[in-house]
Amino acid sequence: MIGEAALVGLVGLVGLGGCGRPDVVEPSAPAPLPAHHAFTLDATPKQHRRMVPPEAFLRAYLQWFGGLAPLEVQRRAKVDGLFDTWKDYLAALGLPDYQVDTPRMTESNTIMLATLGRLAEALCVRAVEHDLVAHPPIDQRAIFAFDEPDGDLTLAAFTPRFDVLHRTFLSYPAALAPADRAARFYALFREVASHHAGGGALTPARTAWAAICTALVQHPETELY
Amino acid sequence: MRRSLPTWIVALSALVARDVVSDPTPTPTLPDYRYFRALSVDLLGRVPTRDELAALERPDFRVDAWIDAHLGGAAYAERLRRIYMDLLRLESSPTTHYDRPAVSLRHGLIEGPHGKLDVYYRNGQRRTDPLIDGTFCFTIAETGLKVVPDGAPQGQARPITQQLLDARTVEIKPWWLYADYRERAPHDRAGPDWTARYPGLDLFLPLFVDPDQTPTTTIRVCREEAQQTPNGRIVVTGQVPRADLVIPPGRWSYPPFDSTYAQAHVGEVISCLSGTGFQSSPECGCGVGLERCIPNGPAGFSLAVKAPLGVDTPFLAIPRTASSWLAQWWAEEAKHFLDDIFASDRDVRDLLTSPGTMINGPLAQFYRALAGATCCGTGTELGYAEPEPLFEPDRVPAEILPIETARWTAIPDRGPHAAGLLTMPVFLMKYGPRRARAHVLSTAFLCKDFVAEAAALTPSTEPDLTRRPGCASCHTTLEPMAAYFARVTEADWTYLPPRQFPLSIARCAGTYPKKPPGCNAYYDPAFATATSSSLRGAYAAPAHADAGPVGLAEEITRAPEFAACVVQNVAQSLLGRSLTPADDRWKIDLAQRFVDGGYRMRALVRAILTSPRYRDVNDRKPAVPR
Repeated sequence: MIGEAALVGLVGLVGLGGCGRPDVVEPSAPAPLPAHHAFTLDATPKQHRRMVPPEAFLRAYLQWFGGLAPLEVQRRAKVDGLFDTWKDYLAALGLPDYQVDTPRMTESNTIMLATLGRLAEALCVRAVEHDLVAHPPIDQRAIFAFDEPDGDLTLAAFTPRFDVLHRTFLSYPAALAPADRAARFYALFREVASHHAGGGALTPARTAWAAICTALVQHPETELY
Repeated sequence: MRRSLPTWIVALSALVARDVVSDPTPTPTLPDYRYFRALSVDLLGRVPTRDELAALERPDFRVDAWIDAHLGGAAYAERLRRIYMDLLRLESSPTTHYDRPAVSLRHGLIEGPHGKLDVYYRNGQRRTDPLIDGTFCFTIAETGLKVVPDGAPQGQARPITQQLLDARTVEIKPWWLYADYRERAPHDRAGPDWTARYPGLDLFLPLFVDPDQTPTTTIRVCREEAQQTPNGRIVVTGQVPRADLVIPPGRWSYPPFDSTYAQAHVGEVISCLSGTGFQSSPECGCGVGLERCIPNGPAGFSLAVKAPLGVDTPFLAIPRTASSWLAQWWAEEAKHFLDDIFASDRDVRDLLTSPGTMINGPLAQFYRALAGATCCGTGTELGYAEPEPLFEPDRVPAEILPIETARWTAIPDRGPHAAGLLTMPVFLMKYGPRRARAHVLSTAFLCKDFVAEAAALTPSTEPDLTRRPGCASCHTTLEPMAAYFARVTEADWTYLPPRQFPLSIARCAGTYPKKPPGCNAYYDPAFATATSSSLRGAYAAPAHADAGPVGLAEEITRAPEFAACVVQNVAQSLLGRSLTPADDRWKIDLAQRFVDGGYRMRALVRAILTSPRYRDVNDRKPAVPR
């Protein structure tokens, strides 16, 4: 309940408010508008990365094989059934055939990926034999241009060697790849090596290097640009 | 790329990092590496090597300078060539052979005085002896064999005498066996040293060993084929087609018939380079060292059937006959022509308008001595007996040998009818019908295809496709374009000159099917009237027929769509995507600069490669695959 005195005070306040001078906003000098920041909007059309043209892939492949002629690559790669003949692979790589009006393929498919895998395996096994088994000077090695450390390969020792392969096939340093890439490939290296500890044509470590090489040749970043 | 960043960015980077980086140059970023990789793929034709990546990482690397240094090499030319080869597909089908009787040397295996013996001959060769006229130069009675043009001889062979062998044949040192075949006594026989002396030449053993496996030093050729005279006199034998004709005794086939032309020109001189000469004169042979002919067998010429990186880097090469070999070089002519234009940064309009070309040894032989053999068929009935060529033989340097496959020579001017790719055999054979020729040129150089309207096709007897309902929407444009090829025989390169082939001719008037010989081959009965008949393919635009491929080349390159189409084709190929409406402004700007710059490809490619569209083209998925 409101008391009388309070009621009087309230009326007085109202009366003061109703009779006071109205509010006036004093004019002031106009202030400049805040500065705008210009941003360049990249409106250029985008799409997924392109397939490396098969001609460029083949040229790179021959280069990785030590600059050999295609028929010489075929001759060397055929040993142990690693490779058949080029004619079995060329169409699958997406090359056009102008003679019969077959257009160039611009998208990959499973046969193409399988073909690339097969070519990668042939390349990498032969490269291990040439670079690591035959052991020419480093500057004469097309793929494995590094020495093999004695004993178990640590991640720290693996990483710079992996970088050589990464640069060869993906064309940039492994350090710029996702952070765990080297570690993941190292895990692959160890796993393959452990599966081949029982012996074979190649040592476990060399078999593992062939696997790393093969994986990188088939990596999407090798086949796309 | 880092070196092309604005200087203020570099300066800011240095300011921010001054406490930790002494070198103001930032390390290449992942986009820098990717950009460099893309440039390498497009300008070097391969991914970069480790050494090239190391060069990229050096402080003094300048990407702009790197691009400039590689806008003109062989790989750059090949990259651009690929764009147009993908559009035009200028390789003949595997079944295409240049196997005309006038140039094709077949061989029959007979029993000679000292064993089996291959004798080379031309099927259809005119001979004065009626028993062997037009066929092998020995009868069945003489050899026991029926030597057929295609297939093994049939019958029981019996040896011929040395006297008969010498009477009918001569020994020759042919062009494929001797480099100095033009000399009086050739001695430079094919051997291991040829591989070094004639790079790219790859001939297979069957061409160089006799049936008894001894090295071939000479070949036996029928005497008429060995003749070297450039001209011969026309003869007639009185043989004409008639109902009661029988095969003369001693022969197994009809003798050659006298053509109307031969009957009208008996005794006159005719060039042995033409098919007419071969058909009507026993004096016409294969020339010095048989250079006017190519062996139909054995399969001794290396054909690069799988060669995505060029015929000099085959992935599969197989032995084939020279007739297949030639088709390979037709395609190579177009490729070398394209490469020359791109590598030299010539005006791109030359693709269609240039009178010049590039030739090597086999092509030199073809244009010098073989191309005329397709002339003139039934054109002789209209007075056309010797070719007016698209490539004049005397423009071919005489010193180029047929075996010089890797020696390419620029020919600045083939003759008045030559027009870039449009008059090359590979184009004319690949796109045999004149409409097919016009169609592919429209799509490749104007970026305009022919899409039919949504019209109901009603039965019509209207021969004019520019008027026939349902056809007119495309053929109104296509027929006048195709008319430019009315004077180039379909699936051939024989030019039809106005003098012998006027646009309209009274001799072929009337619509009845039985007309004088040659009429229906060259004049369209569907467009004949009671008083004249129209040259095939010319009805929609007679003036275009007379302008020929040269006129079409001018029309296409003058069209406003031409430059825009070049830009579109090149940009789409380098960006790896179709251009969209969002690219229209950019495309227009590029086309204008392309025209202002004199239609040079190098500046266009540079503008594309340095544009954000190319640099950032593929970043829709920023996540890097793991």
